[in-house]
Amino acid sequence: MTIVIRGIGVVGGFGCGVDALREALAGRLPRPEPYAIGVGAKRREIRAFQADLSPLEAFMAPRALRRIDRYSRIGLLGSHLALADAGDADASREGLGIVLASGSGATGIAFAHLNSFARDGDICASPTHFANSLHNSAASNISIVLGATGPNLTVSQQRLSVPSALVTARQWILEGRVGRVLFGVIDELSELTAYAWFRERGAPAASAMTPLRTSADTAIPGEGAAFFLLTGGDGGDGGYATLDDAVTGWPPDGNLVPPGAALVVLGADGRPEEGRGYAARAANRRVACYSPVYGCTDAAPAFDMAAAALMAKDGRVFASPGGDAIDFAATVPAAGEPLGGSVINCLTLTSGDGYGLITVGQR
Amino acid sequence: MNRQNPVAITGLGCIAAGGRDLPSCLASMFGRPPQPAPPVRIGSNHPTVYPVFEAGDVDGEDEIIRTSALGLHAAREALADAGLDARALAGLTVGVCVGTTAGCVLMDEPFCRACLAGSDPDMAPIRRRLHGNPASVIARVLGLRGPRQTIVNACSSGTDALGVAGAWIRAGLCDLAIAGGADELGRLAYIGFASLLIADPDPCRPFDVSRKGLNLGEGAGMLVLESEAARRRRGRPARSWLLGYGAAADAFHPTAPRPDGAGLRRAIDAALTSAGCAGPDVAFVNAHGTGTPDNDRVEGRVLAGMLPGIPYFSTKAQTGHTLGAAGAIEAVFTAACLELGRIPASTGFETPDPEIPGVPVRETTAVGGTIALSQSLAFGGCNAVVAIGRAGDGR
Repeated sequence: MTIVIRGIGVVGGFGCGVDALREALAGRLPRPEPYAIGVGAKRREIRAFQADLSPLEAFMAPRALRRIDRYSRIGLLGSHLALADAGDADASREGLGIVLASGSGATGIAFAHLNSFARDGDICASPTHFANSLHNSAASNISIVLGATGPNLTVSQQRLSVPSALVTARQWILEGRVGRVLFGVIDELSELTAYAWFRERGAPAASAMTPLRTSADTAIPGEGAAFFLLTGGDGGDGGYATLDDAVTGWPPDGNLVPPGAALVVLGADGRPEEGRGYAARAANRRVACYSPVYGCTDAAPAFDMAAAALMAKDGRVFASPGGDAIDFAATVPAAGEPLGGSVINCLTLTSGDGYGLITVGQR
Repeated sequence: MNRQNPVAITGLGCIAAGGRDLPSCLASMFGRPPQPAPPVRIGSNHPTVYPVFEAGDVDGEDEIIRTSALGLHAAREALADAGLDARALAGLTVGVCVGTTAGCVLMDEPFCRACLAGSDPDMAPIRRRLHGNPASVIARVLGLRGPRQTIVNACSSGTDALGVAGAWIRAGLCDLAIAGGADELGRLAYIGFASLLIADPDPCRPFDVSRKGLNLGEGAGMLVLESEAARRRRGRPARSWLLGYGAAADAFHPTAPRPDGAGLRRAIDAALTSAGCAGPDVAFVNAHGTGTPDNDRVEGRVLAGMLPGIPYFSTKAQTGHTLGAAGAIEAVFTAACLELGRIPASTGFETPDPEIPGVPVRETTAVGGTIALSQSLAFGGCNAVVAIGRAGDGR
């Protein structure tokens, strides 16, 4: 059975929607904005690629959002965008499955939950904050708002949350558990994650990310969501591309990327501790890297998948921002070059030797 | 949903308040179940003391988060039960799928309090949590290189993990999977459930008319799922079978079950269909039965409607609600009860609730069938059910 990517909903520092992503991939790169960190020994600031959620008001009334935290709102925006993009905005959600990948979960509201009882005692804890702080709160809110009654699953596997959750989304369709899955990832920049970033890495020094210069630290944090409406079926028109495979693993060595891929989209994101792995695994391949469009985020593999789906549909590649600064032997195609094949691999590596590989094919 | 091929369960492991392994948990379940007590591992200035079920110490807690240490403890028991040692595992692709709630929380309360108070605390607790992902820890410690997935689906996580891992085996993604759930007792959950007014200051009483809420617990349950090819290669009999899995969402409320139980009905139906069986084939149901008024009312009504006359029980008054571990611990108990041919009394139940048309078993009860259900209802409206089959019935 073929799995088709029918709709894409994306929001991040580049803007909102497929058109915004396409424009950013075509060269209109976003600029990281200041993010003030209000906790810790003194006030600090980092620059980050941040998502503007105001477009959510086109889908939901503010009153309906009043008890929904920012993490879930990011996901709701991505979900609505994906369904609208698929032309599925008014379809029945009966039996629609939801699979959500989440790196650290709703850290903003979790921090607020702690704050609700830290000063005035445990009895002052906010029940609303507690409910929203649960890892599956966003998938829950999405299912409630959409009326999606199929199976609902949230996966947290650190950097590999996206490929890991995608394994399950594909499996649900392949074994006939559901006919359609709304698959997505959410990553929220919060007081806690921004503070942790600052303490571990300091304020980003680079003005722009050059991730293919794998030995340099040019990482800039990002946030956002990428959602996809996936359907099973061997025929029919429409859709961007096919989702041919998703795997994760921890192999001791060997070639992770099958030789037939027309392009390997690397998840390198300006962090040298992982960048060196990409240089080793993708040497002498035809590669691209788009993390300067959305920053360093656990949602990145899904943004890569969105870019791959667009390229599969167009039959042409996007240029890699900063691609001329590559420091290992590989071919980086220029903007508009033919894709040159029918398969694109999106590779994500972790510093712990794990990998995820998403395979996108042309329809 | 089509009928799925059954997946062999070749090993079981469990740690909970009742014991450090499955035999001791079963002994207490059918003998003298543990009683909840004021928490020792965590403190609280909440004016009400809510009793909890705490599990014993486990190895590795100094290096890894307790949730992962509990999961590793149960995984080792399950592997030993399956007759698998490091040498046997080395030649196999082994996946790890673990359900949890606390195991993927980035928040470290002392760290965050220090940040809020205007200091820059040491980052070690955050790093520890970032490296504490239960599936990754179990795989890393045991040297496993197959797929890893940590499921954070609130209280159905452990049940969902079994369903996901079963699909891995059927799809050939791995030869063998360690699947289950693990969760430690934590202050965020303790305070959170108190704030929702669904924690009971007395021992919980699932399905009883006087029930007021849950008692929290902690522990882990792990099952070894094995492909037929791998199992036959080493000549290992199945201890039981994972026959089916069903899941469905309520799409109703973040913390309350849908009153008509429609999501749970669909999950039970999907589990039965994927197992290739029908309601009358079910010998018993290991219910979620938390002791909260809403959960037990919805669940009791659904069971009475879909599976009338089939005995059911809850073990929450023996383990506490172990959240992300609950579904896995209860699946382990379900498999063990099928083997034993008996189910325990539903501790805490005395007086029927007139709003629930049916009652759980009041005493140890003999069961003769070969198929049982274990089900979970979770915050977020997630419902998940597994169908487990007894070994030796012709599969």
